[in-house]
Amino acid sequence: MSPARDLDGHRYDVIVVGAGWAGSLVAKRLGSQGWRVLVLEAGTTTLDTWAGHLDAMNTFYSSLIKVPNAPYRANTAAPSPSVLDTVPGKDGHGYQALGYLVQDGPLPYGTDYLRAGGGTGMHWLGLTPRMLPQDFKVRTQFGYGRDWPIGYDDLQHWYCEAEREIGVAGDAAEQTEEIGLPFPEGYVFPMHEIPSSYVDRVMAKHLNGKTVFDSCTDEPVELRVVNTPHGRNSTPNPAYDGGRGFRPQDAVGLPNYGERCVGNASCTPICPVQAKYNPLKTQAQWSRKVTLVDRAVVSRVLVADNGRVTGVEYQAYDDPATPVATTRTVEADVVVVAAHAIESARLLLASELANSSDQVGRNLMDHPVMLAWGLMPHQVGPFRGPGSTSAFERFRMGESRREHSPWRLVIANWGWTWAAGSPGSDVAEMLGIPDSPFKPRGKARYGPALREQLGDRIGRQVAFQFELEQDAQPGNRVTIDRRHRDALGNCRPILSYDLSDHVKKGMRAALDVSHQIFELLGAEERTRYTSDAPSYFEYEGTGYTFNGAGHGCGTHVMGDDRKTSVVDQWQRSWDHANLYLVGCGSMPSIGTSNPSLTMAALALRSVERIHQDLTELHRPLVLRPTPGYAHPTEARP
Amino acid sequence: MTVRDPLTGLTGFTDIKAPLTEIEQPPFEIPRTIPKLRYFLQAALALEFLTIPPYLTAMYTIKPGTNQEAWYSLRAVVLEEMLHMTLVANLLNAVGGTPVVADPRFVTDYPAKLPYAREQVPIALRGFGREAIRTGLWIERPEKLEDLPRTGKEPDPRGWTSIGQFYATIRAGMRGLSEKHPDLFDGDPGRQVGPEDFYNSGGRAFPVTDLASALEAIELISEQGEGVPGSIYNPDDRLFGQAKELAHYFRFMEVHEERRYGPLDTPASGPTGPALPIDWSAAYRIDPQAKVADYPVGSEVRQAAEHFNLVYARLLWLLDLSFNGEPKQLQAAVPVMLELRDLALQLYANPHPDPAKAARGVHASATFEITGAELSAAKAELDAGVGATALLASLA
Amino acid sequence: MTTGVPLTATALASAATPDAPPAAPPAKDVDRFVRLSVALTGFDAFELHGTGLAEFYLRTVVAQVGRPAYDDLRKALEQAGLDPEKLEGDVHQDLARAVAHLWYLGVWPPLSAAVHAELRRQVANDAFTVAPEAYVQGLVWRTFHGHPQGAKAPGFGTWAAPPPGEPELPQPGRPVRGHGGKTGGGR
Repeated sequence: MSPARDLDGHRYDVIVVGAGWAGSLVAKRLGSQGWRVLVLEAGTTTLDTWAGHLDAMNTFYSSLIKVPNAPYRANTAAPSPSVLDTVPGKDGHGYQALGYLVQDGPLPYGTDYLRAGGGTGMHWLGLTPRMLPQDFKVRTQFGYGRDWPIGYDDLQHWYCEAEREIGVAGDAAEQTEEIGLPFPEGYVFPMHEIPSSYVDRVMAKHLNGKTVFDSCTDEPVELRVVNTPHGRNSTPNPAYDGGRGFRPQDAVGLPNYGERCVGNASCTPICPVQAKYNPLKTQAQWSRKVTLVDRAVVSRVLVADNGRVTGVEYQAYDDPATPVATTRTVEADVVVVAAHAIESARLLLASELANSSDQVGRNLMDHPVMLAWGLMPHQVGPFRGPGSTSAFERFRMGESRREHSPWRLVIANWGWTWAAGSPGSDVAEMLGIPDSPFKPRGKARYGPALREQLGDRIGRQVAFQFELEQDAQPGNRVTIDRRHRDALGNCRPILSYDLSDHVKKGMRAALDVSHQIFELLGAEERTRYTSDAPSYFEYEGTGYTFNGAGHGCGTHVMGDDRKTSVVDQWQRSWDHANLYLVGCGSMPSIGTSNPSLTMAALALRSVERIHQDLTELHRPLVLRPTPGYAHPTEARP
Repeated sequence: MTVRDPLTGLTGFTDIKAPLTEIEQPPFEIPRTIPKLRYFLQAALALEFLTIPPYLTAMYTIKPGTNQEAWYSLRAVVLEEMLHMTLVANLLNAVGGTPVVADPRFVTDYPAKLPYAREQVPIALRGFGREAIRTGLWIERPEKLEDLPRTGKEPDPRGWTSIGQFYATIRAGMRGLSEKHPDLFDGDPGRQVGPEDFYNSGGRAFPVTDLASALEAIELISEQGEGVPGSIYNPDDRLFGQAKELAHYFRFMEVHEERRYGPLDTPASGPTGPALPIDWSAAYRIDPQAKVADYPVGSEVRQAAEHFNLVYARLLWLLDLSFNGEPKQLQAAVPVMLELRDLALQLYANPHPDPAKAARGVHASATFEITGAELSAAKAELDAGVGATALLASLA
Repeated sequence: MTTGVPLTATALASAATPDAPPAAPPAKDVDRFVRLSVALTGFDAFELHGTGLAEFYLRTVVAQVGRPAYDDLRKALEQAGLDPEKLEGDVHQDLARAVAHLWYLGVWPPLSAAVHAELRRQVANDAFTVAPEAYVQGLVWRTFHGHPQGAKAPGFGTWAAPPPGEPELPQPGRPVRGHGGKTGGGR
């Protein structure tokens, strides 16, 4: 790796901003096609050695609250938000945002991301459901949000390609039968499905075939426990790829490790054996044509008078704790910004680029997660296996979407860990230790009673995550303001965020569904939404709280009209023909699926177009009159 | 007993006074009949298996959180030994044999002698330390060119001085027999363990169905241990398209020397790369000849050590089933290995129940003792659906 | 060939069980600490020693509250016949809570503000994980036959098996789930 400051004035075929998921895939494919690719990473790249990974493991073990960014070292030069940054408001109502993100909206944006080599893909949970065909047309079909300029069929091939790059384990036939997802004839995933957890099996025993009602629409919904596709090593399927099978990718920095999930049950924030896909596995396959430079914070994308971008300006620093940087520039024929939805928007706004539509930063989305939790009458074996192995999928689809947001109803395998901080909170409670040293202490249980009662309580914990689709709203947006800067002088993202009534109504319907499910399970419902939580709000007289899903989307949405969208269907800026904005930011609707797989499919699809653009640029000069430059999509029939 | 250390000619391993246990062995020669070939492959299976508990003992006596680099080196070796064992079972099944695992004649007590080894080097359950690493060096040492049997030439009847010689002898027999018996590899292919049932460990298992795949299996086993001749690396990069990896002998050498091999190092140069920090004191000290009988009846340590052996017996049954027509059982064996790890770590962290030994800082041990009694108890448990069989059914 | 192993007869002679390392707290101290911890946690001495952290926890407790306060707690518990229910006084009760919390989670908890003041502690009254390995060795996971998240992984597919005492349950979904010939539909 070259030191960041030695690149000044160099020229590449492609510059990729961000060594996260999308950027790593783009660099891999372009590099293998022979293009010289420079990847600039704002954070550090300590995680791609085994020593660096073990350091992250120890940081994780030591952290008191094991939030998604807990294993990863803080970086003053390229700060990351934490889900712990939003805290209760000063008077016990509302919220305060204490960290890197400035927030001024009615509700807090509770999603974090990671600025380091590998990016937020280091702490994803590892679920790879595809979007439904109807998710691409929510405006046309259901009258809310925005449509995509492309549909499921346009992505079919790229979904398959993404599933190969990630190494997806799942049961394609079940996805077709239960969800109606189309696949190519005879398609199987690279690996057999991850076995459904015992918790899933308990759910299926009590709930499969039972019907609950949508309290908003009175629509009946049949409950079916459906195994979720995972980006996690399972058993390779010899039938994959026309019988060629699949070789799982092992850990980065330690060969022959992590070729199968062993059930560490810590996918988020870190998979100890790296059986879960992470972008470093893609980086390990980069050709020599790809150069990675870390500790290089891109501060501006540079543009020429003819509207084409010429390269980027970046700040090279040495010590993440001492934010002293040198500003440099580097040039390329194509610039790909793949820095996370919020960071990409921030960079575009700071560069004053690509925004003739006034949509840069707008339509920020997430899957607001409403948690519901309870106690089963018997032991269910929680805190084992991946965070979730199955879901109820039928709440994602159908006419109810006209009335309220749909959701994936995710079965959680890790008890109340997200809902209530278990098992630490259970231990403290049984020992009579309150959450403040100034509150009175309760009576403690000790000895066998402590052991047995803890085991009884924790072993019966179940929880559900209602991951609601958030509709694109122009008012949910990222802006910048020169008064709010980070240590290197870059503008920090300012977020204005709220939930629409469409989402809130969805939460109401979801909460009613959760009551019905706990009733059918014979479980003791323990869901409590407290008014001092940062995300607390009331809707039609009922209080709710929600969490961020880590699914930052929107901010440079794609469309088929340059007046109302930031990028075209290839994630290419309408305003700058050699600038690509690749990532979840391009998604005009977030759909009902965890977005990483779709983002990967989109990135791979864009590579094809970038390759074409570069090939045309490098075509031998022809000495005859040529028409003026036209946007390639416009030039083609 | 005095043992000459084969590496240097110095005497060593003098702490072990007990006679070494060993499996029955007919004379050492190139196998010229199919039953003899099967017997040699069964001996090879025993040999691969015998190495695993000593390596596990060295690994699990490292105090948790310390000596991480050594820990991962040992782990890589152990997993490759498990692959070797599986490939030997495939070889044996390919030639119509019946691998024997869950049998006290197969699993000897420790300290043990490796089958057909010329020297009486004790293979003992030593805690992490230089002696344990030297045992590994002895087991995995590369063959000397002059010791290689020439084609058709009988090996030294006193036994091998490197495992490579042992496999070269088997290979010579196999080649000869395959010329005489075109149906030599007619074993039931359903008994072969493939990559679906075994991976995550040093390359992949592959079925043995003919002479070519048999020779590939033998080559892999020899070279993962001792290195590609003249090199410090194993053949995985060539066979599996993986990154270059050190062969076992050189992994042990790195730990022993507390130094990594550099990119240009050779077997002759020894490791000259960066330092590999080892804290030899950050390990539980154990008695390398510990037996369950050393622990007072009824004590917690005694119960735990007995329980460990029972679970170990369950593992043997699962391996036995895996190699005898039910390769899917290997999936169920992995959780049992991890259960053994947890039990072993608890034992090593406990002081020896004998106060005098505890005062000297000696800790309790997992003893890896197997008798008919353990095996029948474990079989009964398995048949009653305890543990992994039921798990396997639920995964099917 | 050259092996590069500088073996010497001296090194080989020092086999088996070398001399004991310098003792930190005497074993007797650790044993007494484990005895009172058995009473507080409900785990037996084998399980507590099995964490490998008994001595480290004793040092942690002494470092946090001071030798006299720890000795007071120990004597009080021993005089109470190792029955924590009979412990009297806020200080003893809060230290007992803290020791149990430490074993269960590997985390030293904040003491009550009053006890913190009474002990005149010179350290911050904050929760902290006392060592990375302490999280891994937390006892709470064993109460429900689990394992710490991120460590002691039990192996592929184990999450599908029932916890002790519960019945086997089938994989949800389609009744026949053999792995042969299953493919996605071609809709």
